[in-house]
Amino acid sequence: MLLDAQTLARLKGVKLRARAVMEGVLSGLHKSPHQGQSVEFAEHKEYAPGDELRHLDWKAYGKFDKYYVKRFEHETNLRSVMVVDASASMGYGSGAMNKLEVATTLAGALCYLLVRQQDAAGLALLTGGKWKDVPPRASAGHLNVLLETLDATAPGGGTDLGSAADHLAEVLPRRSTVIVLSDLLDEKQDALKRVLALRQRKNDVSLFHVVDPAELTFPFDDPTLFLDMEGEGRIEVNPREIKESYLEEFHAFLASVKAACAEADVDYELVRTDEKLDDVLLRYLGRRGRRK
Amino acid sequence: MTFGNPWMLLGALGAFIPLLVHLFDRRRPRPHPFGPMAFVLRSQKRTASRLKLKRLLLYALRTLILLAIPLALARPELSRDAQAAQIVKGPAATAIILDASLSMRWTDGTSLFERGRDEARDALKDLLPEEPATVLVCTSSPATPPPPGFDRARLRGLVDEAKPTYGAADLSRCMEMASRSLEENPMAAKRLVVVSDMAASAFRLEAPPPTVKGPTGAPVKPEVVLRDVAEGREALNNHAIVDLKVEPALQAGPRSFQFTFTVRNFGTEPAKDLEAAVRTGETTLAKGFVDVPAGGTTQKALTVRFPQGGTVVGQVTLASDSLVEDDRRAFVLPVPKALKALVVNGAPHATRYRDEAFFVDAALTAPGSPVEVAVRDSEVGLREDFSAYDLVLLLNVPAPNPEEAARLEAFVENGGGLFLSMGDRVNTEDYNQRLGAVLPRPLRVVRTSAERDTDPEAETKAARLAQVKQEHVLFSPFTGRAEEGLIGARFYRYMLLEADNPASPGASQVLATYEDGAPAVAVMRKGKGRVAMFTSTVDRDWSDFAIRTSFLPLMQRFAAYLTGSLEEREEVRVRVGELVTLRPEGAQKVTAVKAPDGSELPVKEQPDGSVVAGPVLEPGAYSVLGADGKMQPALSFAAMLDPAESDLTRVPQDTLTAYFGEETVKASSGDEDRPTVPLWTWLILAACVAFFFEGTLLRK
Repeated sequence: MLLDAQTLARLKGVKLRARAVMEGVLSGLHKSPHQGQSVEFAEHKEYAPGDELRHLDWKAYGKFDKYYVKRFEHETNLRSVMVVDASASMGYGSGAMNKLEVATTLAGALCYLLVRQQDAAGLALLTGGKWKDVPPRASAGHLNVLLETLDATAPGGGTDLGSAADHLAEVLPRRSTVIVLSDLLDEKQDALKRVLALRQRKNDVSLFHVVDPAELTFPFDDPTLFLDMEGEGRIEVNPREIKESYLEEFHAFLASVKAACAEADVDYELVRTDEKLDDVLLRYLGRRGRRK
Repeated sequence: MTFGNPWMLLGALGAFIPLLVHLFDRRRPRPHPFGPMAFVLRSQKRTASRLKLKRLLLYALRTLILLAIPLALARPELSRDAQAAQIVKGPAATAIILDASLSMRWTDGTSLFERGRDEARDALKDLLPEEPATVLVCTSSPATPPPPGFDRARLRGLVDEAKPTYGAADLSRCMEMASRSLEENPMAAKRLVVVSDMAASAFRLEAPPPTVKGPTGAPVKPEVVLRDVAEGREALNNHAIVDLKVEPALQAGPRSFQFTFTVRNFGTEPAKDLEAAVRTGETTLAKGFVDVPAGGTTQKALTVRFPQGGTVVGQVTLASDSLVEDDRRAFVLPVPKALKALVVNGAPHATRYRDEAFFVDAALTAPGSPVEVAVRDSEVGLREDFSAYDLVLLLNVPAPNPEEAARLEAFVENGGGLFLSMGDRVNTEDYNQRLGAVLPRPLRVVRTSAERDTDPEAETKAARLAQVKQEHVLFSPFTGRAEEGLIGARFYRYMLLEADNPASPGASQVLATYEDGAPAVAVMRKGKGRVAMFTSTVDRDWSDFAIRTSFLPLMQRFAAYLTGSLEEREEVRVRVGELVTLRPEGAQKVTAVKAPDGSELPVKEQPDGSVVAGPVLEPGAYSVLGADGKMQPALSFAAMLDPAESDLTRVPQDTLTAYFGEETVKASSGDEDRPTVPLWTWLILAACVAFFFEGTLLRK
């Protein structure tokens, strides 16, 4: 069942929307990859609420008087983190859903898929200029935590993808899957570079570039006072006069992002907020399937 | 500048609308929170200068549109009419003088005269209703203009009917005539409007400028309005045939003529490879090319050999320019017919140069001579049928018998030519008795001026020709150096003649005499024919004239004269605008003179028998008709243009202003004929273009 953006928007909450999208995706998939378990020790990790108690390393506790949890290679089939940009600019939407709603729905659907496959899924939310992490887990109960967290996310604050990338580089073990959902409207010049640098740490990085159709086509006619959603900036222009120049700039930006992703071996997916999200996911998963 | 609807100019205030909109339009823009503000800012910065320029252009274009439309609706017109209107302000009795001289035929698509006519019409139109006016068409013989009046239709009719002439026009005289005409009107102010190409030949600037009687009777200068139909042109380029000479070209054969025409370039640029040709009808007889430097003169000679005798009417032509009338000149040329001459040799001799007829035969059969000669001795020659010949020459011939003499007389009566020369074999009594009817004067006795064989001073004592009537056609070429050939001849012996012919007193004419007054050449008309007597020998027996350079041409002219093929009348050189005097001879009658366009010239017979025709109005060949209604070639003539009219040098405006007086002269543009585009059409065009560009800018 493929749901268009309008239909999806009528569904209240990320839970429902993500589920609807996930079901649409599942009906489009033909096989589910099976990943075997491994017991090979990989590293220690400081205990955090929610970690399996059975993996608590009592010897280490004896040595350091701190709780450490043992991690193993291929402990799960996949360890994924959805990095969702919830900055103020993500709150822009000219259609049924704004960019944040599209991003959280996509993140929720991916969490569904991952958990259903007994893969671990976590979240890293950038909202109000602060980070909110939900560590990856594969338990069914964790899915509710993820979806509720996404549901409670509201746009606000500035975009700081660079520091988010740095943060993830610290906390994420190698070979994790990082899925970034953002409009990439970060004022800092090296933000994208730092996000893409995650790939250099053997992480599997995917980038969902969420854009609104109005940003792509600039369909304004009358003189407009444009207000900056992440700052105090404002400018009065006649959109017809700058439309050509704006489109040139914006499409050059899209092309540069796409080219940088290709260069860094990062999956790039341009997501319009008016398109069917299950299509987006099928397109994404299909491409990844072909790569493997 | 004038405006047809001046109140429409109020609409020009609309030009301020764009400025007011710019100043007071404060529409509040719709606020719109937007994510990619950085791109909007960058785009705005990138396009700012271009947008500024665009806004400025839009403002200018909109202002132009709003300004041009009301201006166009106000129907503005530029200067000329305004200036003319200004000139005619203040009522004045006005005389419009339209130059109709040949130079006004100059054309560059539209002739100057056509422009002049339009100017004259405009001048009439510009008159105030209370201004009386008259029109004078200025030709070589202008008619007195009607008194100034208010019948504009009649004056306009005069202008419409005016035609350019082929003659010169004296504008100074025409202005004087117009001034006199204006004096008949009581209105104090007078005005002369001169419509002309201002050619220098039309003005006599050495004469005082025209005046009219003022209110007190004292002469005052009238206002002069100059309407220059060639305004804007410094010079009117023109080349013309200014002279034509047609002379026999004996070296080229019989009936050959050399046409020497003088070409003058009145322009400021050299004329190269101008085609010059001699034509009769559509046939080109000879053609050449001529180069004429700027302001210079060149001669071109073309030789034409006519296939047969008769009167040839043709024209020489030059490559056409803007004034074609002076690029051709007509000619009426009598081409001698082939003549048959019987030479009766009275003293043949085995040695050719001692033969009586040797020198005459050589002269008449020289190259280029149209005479075919048959030489016979006396016995045979006098028995010939004279009617088979045009000319009989009796050279030292014994007197013919009565029967032969009667035939000779009949021959002369019927139009034949008879030439008699003396010698030892001429018996005076027999000649007087038998040929008395055809002798110009009876023979008296032979006189010996010097004995050549015995007297060593014979050469100095020998008689010479003393008086030669060079005005007679027979001797007309023998002037200047050519005369030396005549007066250098020595005559040792010659026949004395009686004072007059008793049979026909006064009929004979002595054309040349010796130093003692005795006739050397006597001629006489007899019936339709002519007789000429040479009182010495035509060989070297009595004189050495036969070996003189003048002998050959004189003998040829004798032959031509006696057969009537040598025109006795002088070449008629008549210019357009002049009267021509025709002198019919003998049975000739002049009943009509037809112009090239077929019209007849007025003809008036004079008490002395001559006929005055004309004035000649156009150049070309004129046919003179006789009593039988047929053309008389001998009287027909060609009329030519006055070369002075070909000189189109213009008088500078400053010169004319100084001449007429600066306070009285008003200049007026003469370019009415140039397509005048009212200013409002340009304004509409400007508005449309501005509208188009405004739309284009808006779409960008």
